[in-house]
Amino acid sequence: MDEEPERAKRWEGGYERTWEVLKEDEFGSLKATVEEILFQTKRKRALESHGQVRLGMMRHLFVVIDSSRTMEDMDLKPNRLKATLKLMETFMEEYFDQNPISQVGLITTKNKRAEKLTDLAGNPKKHIAALKKARDAACVGEPSLFNALSLAIQTLKHMPGHTSREIVIIFSSLTTCDPSNIYELIKSLKALKIRVSVIGLSAEVRVCTVLTRETGGTYHVCLDESHFKELLMFHVKPPPANTQSECSLIRMGFPQHTIASVCDQDSKPSFSMSHLDSGSEVGLSLGGYFCPQCHAKHTELPVECKICGLTLVSAPHLARSFHHLFPLEPFRETPLEQHPAHRFCHACQGQLKDKVVFTCPLCSGVFCTECDLFIHDSLHCCPSCINTQLSH
Amino acid sequence: MASEDEWNLLVIVMDVNPIWWGQQAQREPEFTLSKCLDAVMVMGNSHMAMTRTNKLAIIASHCQDSHFLYPSKNWTAGDGAGDGAMDEAPNCGDGKYELLSVANNVVAEEMKRVMSTTEVKGNSTDTLLAGSLAKALCYIHRLTKELEAGEEIKSRILVIKTAEDCARQYMNFMNVIFAAQKQNILIDACVLDSDSGLLQQACDITGGLYLKIPQKIALAQYLLWVFLPDSEQRSQLVLPPPVHVDYRAACFCHRNLIEIGYVCSVCLSIFCNFSPICTTCETAFKIQLPQMMKSKKKKLKQST
Repeated sequence: MDEEPERAKRWEGGYERTWEVLKEDEFGSLKATVEEILFQTKRKRALESHGQVRLGMMRHLFVVIDSSRTMEDMDLKPNRLKATLKLMETFMEEYFDQNPISQVGLITTKNKRAEKLTDLAGNPKKHIAALKKARDAACVGEPSLFNALSLAIQTLKHMPGHTSREIVIIFSSLTTCDPSNIYELIKSLKALKIRVSVIGLSAEVRVCTVLTRETGGTYHVCLDESHFKELLMFHVKPPPANTQSECSLIRMGFPQHTIASVCDQDSKPSFSMSHLDSGSEVGLSLGGYFCPQCHAKHTELPVECKICGLTLVSAPHLARSFHHLFPLEPFRETPLEQHPAHRFCHACQGQLKDKVVFTCPLCSGVFCTECDLFIHDSLHCCPSCINTQLSH
Repeated sequence: MASEDEWNLLVIVMDVNPIWWGQQAQREPEFTLSKCLDAVMVMGNSHMAMTRTNKLAIIASHCQDSHFLYPSKNWTAGDGAGDGAMDEAPNCGDGKYELLSVANNVVAEEMKRVMSTTEVKGNSTDTLLAGSLAKALCYIHRLTKELEAGEEIKSRILVIKTAEDCARQYMNFMNVIFAAQKQNILIDACVLDSDSGLLQQACDITGGLYLKIPQKIALAQYLLWVFLPDSEQRSQLVLPPPVHVDYRAACFCHRNLIEIGYVCSVCLSIFCNFSPICTTCETAFKIQLPQMMKSKKKKLKQST
């Protein structure tokens, strides 16, 4: 297990003159330098795009939230548990926005046991409701990594081979209470091709380092709340797929949305399948999505038909993932003096005021800093490339 | 009534495909590009006249490029780099609100410049609608960033479409639609000629209105009735009902619309029949064979 040499710890290295990086501006403030350092790390992370690597599009992700005694620490406001739950709600929305055909489940661990909050599902509303309810839960006892992981394994091992199986653990305690040898469990995780990543809230724990290294995940310890959010959002992007994961053709249905009104002669009110779970919803409705195989009605997509088991999606859901498959190339940074002819940004028509401008390598369009961030974060397509018909 | 701190931005994207408008001038001489522009200007003026905090932007979408007609770069720069026409006082003599008359003049000038200078090169006869929408989104994003503390902005985009859809722009179009949905920007569509599936999807996903106009001459009437009220006021008006959007996917092999299909797990391409190799990403699929059952060994009865 320990054949790989571990990287040297920070105190074992030489002196770093970190004070020389920071420079004060004329008012003695460090704000500009700090912002620039953060901006550079953000761009570096954005530039680490994988290129021509196969990505795992259909993901089954379990999130394990530590609910032990250490989560009541107030170093993250108001306390660690509430801050984590709030960030998880944002994570859920972003996750289903970027990966519409994936599923997420929630597990909490406290008092040396693990409990499943929500099962694997593709609908964010259920998870967000469960997260809101969990805010009032008490944090007692010690967490148990073994129990949480085996609870996740029980569901993940039945998932089909072409999906990517992942577990993300938010771990704040420095101890774990396991009923059995966790290294054996790590071996079985590796055999089942489950990728485990950990986000630590306190300090680096050796068992987590070994766990993530063996299964191919990442391990980071957060510095403050914004760093925590960044680390969490890092898991929203689809990871590179395992080399041994199988590729198969998945049978899916594309139901039509019928919007019937009361004056329609043929429309009959019917129950939808989602009311089987929650009795509080209004039962009868006129329109909905009818499964093409068994004609059972559902109210929203994507969903797995409860009667016949067919996965139902709509074409825009698949289209949402296309920008992962054809990522936009990062723009080149050039100083403003090299472009005397361009005074306006090609996208937003604003005047170019910054010292650096960004040029698209394909069409040589010139963009300002704000547009560059917007294009790479939200738009995923270059406005002037479309206009010169270079991209299809 | 909107409060003083809430800005309302309307971006009008006009399709000025010269080929379609040229054919239109021969089919129906009563309704030409200048009549259409008049109707759009009526709509723009009404929008700016409603409240002081309403803003307007107009983009012309051509086969070669998209141009901002209003606000114009030459006009806002103010250093005389543009034509000399803007130096004279924009006085129409009929007592119109000066902002509106300036806007009308600028739009007319820019439109003349766009139509006369842009050439149609090669085989590109499709309107670059996705590019204009992308530029509109960047412009809205810039204005949102330039707000001061306490101010809000609500934006929507109105697309006036004439020519047909370009299938090659599907992916860029979908990216733009999802970006608009994330920023809570409505996309409305006013279609003059043939139905556009892409715009129907855009309006459905972002929550806007889609309307195919039966009579082109009455364009101004439709614009003022349906598209002038903003999203809050629309709930209190009786507007055309939403259209039924066909969300079925088209298979990659025959381009037929299918209800049940097979999706490749690597590249998400859709096929109507099972095939052992994906034609887009050339992955070989694992075929599920029926499981081999071991024959049970019968115990030999010992003969006594």
